[in-house]
Amino acid sequence: MNAPDRYERFVVPEGTKKVSYERDTKIINAATFTIEREDHTIGNILRMQLHSDENVLFAGYKLPHPLQYKILVRIHTTSQSSPMQAYNQAINDLDKELDHLKNAFENEVAKHARDF
Amino acid sequence: MEGASYQRFPKIKIRELKDDYAKFELRDTDASVANALRRVMIAEVPTIAIDLVEIEVNSSVLNDEFIAHRLGLIPLTSERAMSMRFSRDCDACDGDGQCEFCSVEFHLRAKCMSDQTLDVTSNDLYSSDHTVVPVNFTDSAGYDSSEQRGVIIVKLRRGQELRLRAIARKGIGKDHAKWSPAATVTFMYEPEIHINEDMMDTLSLEDKQSFVESSPTRVFDIDPNTQQVVVVDPEAYTYDDEVLKKAEAMGKPGLVEIYAKEDSFIFTVESTGAIKASQMVLNAIEILKQKLDAVRLSEDTVEADDQFGELGAHMRGG
Repeated sequence: MNAPDRYERFVVPEGTKKVSYERDTKIINAATFTIEREDHTIGNILRMQLHSDENVLFAGYKLPHPLQYKILVRIHTTSQSSPMQAYNQAINDLDKELDHLKNAFENEVAKHARDF
Repeated sequence: MEGASYQRFPKIKIRELKDDYAKFELRDTDASVANALRRVMIAEVPTIAIDLVEIEVNSSVLNDEFIAHRLGLIPLTSERAMSMRFSRDCDACDGDGQCEFCSVEFHLRAKCMSDQTLDVTSNDLYSSDHTVVPVNFTDSAGYDSSEQRGVIIVKLRRGQELRLRAIARKGIGKDHAKWSPAATVTFMYEPEIHINEDMMDTLSLEDKQSFVESSPTRVFDIDPNTQQVVVVDPEAYTYDDEVLKKAEAMGKPGLVEIYAKEDSFIFTVESTGAIKASQMVLNAIEILKQKLDAVRLSEDTVEADDQFGELGAHMRGG
């Protein structure tokens, strides 16, 4: 009867931002990114990619509640970098990795089609 | 201020590829990427499925909503889905989801006129678009191709009739499982098995035999010529620890060592037939890229922070 619409799980409501950014008030170079309508799929790959960044001191994500369709990504970096820079770098690196993966897979499919 | 790149270059090797099945190795990346791919394939690669049913006549034994639900679960060929629009953001039909850009119409008319029960199947659905039709399982599954077996929707006896109109739309598995193109998607860590040969040589043949048999799956065997224990199929290992316990029980801890390679995964992808298994992987990569693109920081967020930074510097006396 009063069940929320299913699409609320993945459609960002009008007037809300997909990503918002909030600096930590006490710690310099620390910030929390709130990503609307995303889950472990994005949260975990971002976190792991951030861990490979030497300037990132802390990176973690959480899904605060299963019925709140958002994740919080928290990043703390050294003074050599900034949370925003690390965040952008992680997305760029993942994007390039997926480009590479896509090419690799397409080549393999073509190779497979030839051989069999 | 561009930082150093920490990009990886993963490798892929396809082992087996059929229309509805794929098995491949993914290397030089981590579990988060492998799991993201798996999750996207199951829940976010779009397909087309029946979403709205208008029943004109239904005198069958199944009620209207039961039939509507069954229709929704029939896989439809969805190569077009990636380029199709979601009904909710289709401009051409104001979101009521009945135009050619976001929907496909189906009709079904069946009436049983004989004493023999009539099977109404997915083959009785008439599509308005020849690229979107119920999946035909006959050729790939190895059934006799002369027998065109569809998915049974309902059975009718003499005098019963079913007449309906259905609208199929694009959707994703997160919304409803009927839109998921995946039957199963799994990945496992590639195991690395080391046998301590010196210790193994101290075992008698019977002990070797009982060691080999302690594994529930056939991972080890005894070479008939040399009578040595060899690994025949490392991937049959299910991380059950049975052989390790056996080694311990025989008083030979460290007889074998088994590690999971943290950066090598073996994927198994099975499709419902809506899209090819290989296409499903490619679509998943594409969707994941789009998702990453959507979580990039918007310009105004960056600007607002720049101003904040200046303010902060000012306050610190800079």
